Amino acid sequence: MTFAPAWLRFSDASSIFRVCRSGIAAWFLCLGFMAPALVRGATLPELWLERQKSVVAVEYVTETEADRRPTVSLGTVIDAQGTIILPSNAIDPRAATWQLKDFKVYAPGDANSTPADYLGQDAYTGWHFVRVNEALRSRLVPVTAFAPAAGAKEPALADFVWGIGLRTKDEDFAPYIMQSNLALIQALPQRTGIAQREVAAPGLPVFDRDGYLVGLAASSFGQSYLQFAPGNRGVPVLQINVEESSAFILADEMLPYLGRVPKDVSGRPLAWLGAYGLEPMDRDVAKFLNLSSQSGAVVSEILEGSPAELAGLKARDIILAIDGKPLPQLKPDRVVVTYIEREVDRRRPGETLALTVLRGPERMELKVLLGDEPKLMREAERKYFDRIGFTAREFVYGDAIERRVKAGAQPGVIVHYVKASSPIAIAGLRQEDWIREIDGAEPKTFAEAVTKLSDIEKDEARAEVVMLVSRGGETAVLRVKLK
Amino acid sequence: MKPFPARSTPALTLGFFLYVLLVLPAFSASTRKFNQLLESVVRIDVREVAFEAGARRYSASIGSGVILSDDGIILTNAHVVSPRAIEINVTLANLERVGARLIGWDHWTDLAVLRVDLVEVRRRSLKFEHAAFGDSNKLYPGQEVFAVGTPHGLTRTVTRGIISNNNRYFEDSRAVNGYETGAFNTWLQTDAAINPGNSGGPLVTGDGKVIGISSRGYLGANNLGFAIPAATARRVLEQLVRDGSIVRSYVGVVPGPLQDLENFYSLALNTGVLINSIDPGSPGMRAGLRGGDIVLAIDGVKVDGRFPEQLPPIQNLIANKPVGSKVTLSVKRGPDTRDFAMVTEKLESRVGEEWALEKWGVSVRKVSRAFARENQLDDETGVIVIGVQPGFPADVAGLSRSDIITKINQLPVTTLEVLKEAQAAYQSKPEPILLEALRNRRVSLYILKP
Repeated sequence: MTFAPAWLRFSDASSIFRVCRSGIAAWFLCLGFMAPALVRGATLPELWLERQKSVVAVEYVTETEADRRPTVSLGTVIDAQGTIILPSNAIDPRAATWQLKDFKVYAPGDANSTPADYLGQDAYTGWHFVRVNEALRSRLVPVTAFAPAAGAKEPALADFVWGIGLRTKDEDFAPYIMQSNLALIQALPQRTGIAQREVAAPGLPVFDRDGYLVGLAASSFGQSYLQFAPGNRGVPVLQINVEESSAFILADEMLPYLGRVPKDVSGRPLAWLGAYGLEPMDRDVAKFLNLSSQSGAVVSEILEGSPAELAGLKARDIILAIDGKPLPQLKPDRVVVTYIEREVDRRRPGETLALTVLRGPERMELKVLLGDEPKLMREAERKYFDRIGFTAREFVYGDAIERRVKAGAQPGVIVHYVKASSPIAIAGLRQEDWIREIDGAEPKTFAEAVTKLSDIEKDEARAEVVMLVSRGGETAVLRVKLK
Repeated sequence: MKPFPARSTPALTLGFFLYVLLVLPAFSASTRKFNQLLESVVRIDVREVAFEAGARRYSASIGSGVILSDDGIILTNAHVVSPRAIEINVTLANLERVGARLIGWDHWTDLAVLRVDLVEVRRRSLKFEHAAFGDSNKLYPGQEVFAVGTPHGLTRTVTRGIISNNNRYFEDSRAVNGYETGAFNTWLQTDAAINPGNSGGPLVTGDGKVIGISSRGYLGANNLGFAIPAATARRVLEQLVRDGSIVRSYVGVVPGPLQDLENFYSLALNTGVLINSIDPGSPGMRAGLRGGDIVLAIDGVKVDGRFPEQLPPIQNLIANKPVGSKVTLSVKRGPDTRDFAMVTEKLESRVGEEWALEKWGVSVRKVSRAFARENQLDDETGVIVIGVQPGFPADVAGLSRSDIITKINQLPVTTLEVLKEAQAAYQSKPEPILLEALRNRRVSLYILKP
């Protein structure tokens, strides 16, 4: 099984419809066996009818220079204030928050929508938070209403689990039921239940036979198939069901964090370590380094001016423990990196992270005072110039890292977007190019560059602008013909 | 030709003499020389080693060449015969086959020089002709030329065309089997049909003079072929025969044509060459040069680089200096002009030495200085994985193509020898080996298990 992110956009796929029809058929077949087991006299359809009120479809628009792109994602209601959580991949991480517009919430089976506000993303859980207007709140039931009693046992292997899926917008997000049995529990590093087959749409809750919450569906895993066709002998393909998932994080990995509603739409404050490229090690390497029962992660680079650098962490150090707790051996190996990242993300800037590292043969203890994450690319300032044909983006810390230059104030701007067939496109500029000089002069700040470009844009008499552009460590002088 | 009848009018006689004196002797000499040229063109069969997929692999290819001296010097393309060749066989025009060895190669101009095995030639009393160079500087577009070679293995094929352009600029960073080419010479363009296998064969005028070495063509296009001009070939040949290699000086300046930018830089017409880019870490960068600078003169010699085809001679002003020479560039930046002095380095290819560590099933290429700079590595430590053999220790450990192995058992991989020695030790006593490798700037550890 492979862990793979998947977009949550609902697309019309007739095969899915067939799957869900057969799923319902299967349910009717086994209904006779299950009915006696249901407690409190509630049948599964009754439980399903009530729990639908905890799920919604959320639609929003991403506004770009060229178009407005609608996206639909599914979310779970977590409180009486109409707060909804969406999975981390519901929103493109490159989009600036101001580009996200017109959030609307649909109750299952309802063609009408209610406006909502985007509250931001929580770094630790990855969830995006949305809050729907009053109008719809009374019709929603927070999923916490179905939380198991404190100390309740987590689901056991082979236990019956079920969940909800929603059809497409064309079908008014009609709810349907999925059911399966728990096949495996794995730490990824969150404890994740894996059912035999699809059990809920990603982002929607999963319940047990009695209707208690057992988890929240995650992105589905890829499944390996052999694809046969006339003339070929079975090509291995990996299929990912983006609409339904068989994996879910357990309720204990979800319920304690529902309160992490971002205070600010930017999701800040964000804790920052500044160790780039954490790489896991396999068991052979761990054994070679005499790390018998634990794992480690190699630090590839230490970012300039970062808390890690200040604390004395060095490139090629191997992180062995956090706060004295050895890194666990998780499978797949890669998961240990997520483990470390989550340890950082759940802290706040100003908190301390105690690291045990292996440097050559030596073990050492380092205390990192976590900092505040430098401005992210999605937070960078941008300005669109229609006549020249591009969006200029402020040069931020991440750009310096990517281009291996000093992280201090760098001149110029980054090409964020190129309008097709525009003067700048014809001159050969591409997205992510770094414009270092405009007309032979270095703009020292983003504001200076914007002033200069605005003047050029306004000057109808202007025939051309010459730019010094850097791409992949090389530069070129390009002439942008405006007339 | 039959003689004319004895009784003829004076006018006719005069005409006959003119014909005989001017046309016929010229024609026959030309034919003789052309035949001599045909007798000097050879087919070259090469077996070369490649370090692919974690093992030594051998492959065979066919090219063409031309003998240029009575002691059996053959000129061909660098992409036909390179130092990877392990067996070179030459088929002479009289269909006799004889061995040859590589004297030297220069991928920048795509030329290589071989010498036939003279001992074998004498022992078997083999005979061959040799051709002579013509003056490629006097060629004009429209002039008739012939390409001779072995297209698709068809020995001694002659095709005819004209010079389509006598000064074509053609730079490519990996055209000669992955090596850089074209920065230091321009090319002849011809519509004489040039197909795979023509490579290394001569492009000649009607009198059999070699005015170029056919080297490349656009596949899928109609008759767009290219040849290295004789003026370049003659110089490279002499140097390779004398020294076995061509050493060039380098400062890291990547020039660009100034075309249409003169006004922007307030330059007098036909002055200066644009610096498009400076290689990171190069002498030019250390001296403070920047992209967008305009070079007005190199060591006092004024330069004019308006058009791409003017760039190679300018490049050669620096390249032809001995390595370690001081070079001064007069540079215009904005309104100011100032001199930048730097010391030249030896020009190196991005492609380093290759090897296959067959016990581990991994083939590697040394990180060169140029590669390290291009990829912004800290230094030249390490080897690039160019292939792994499925099921062998390197593959099992998780290494894959384009990883850069930087350490082996904590020892920095500064040379290929470090790895060869480690493999030898492993062979005598197989024990797990710890590798450190970079993948997209990320450091990972791997274990090679017996």
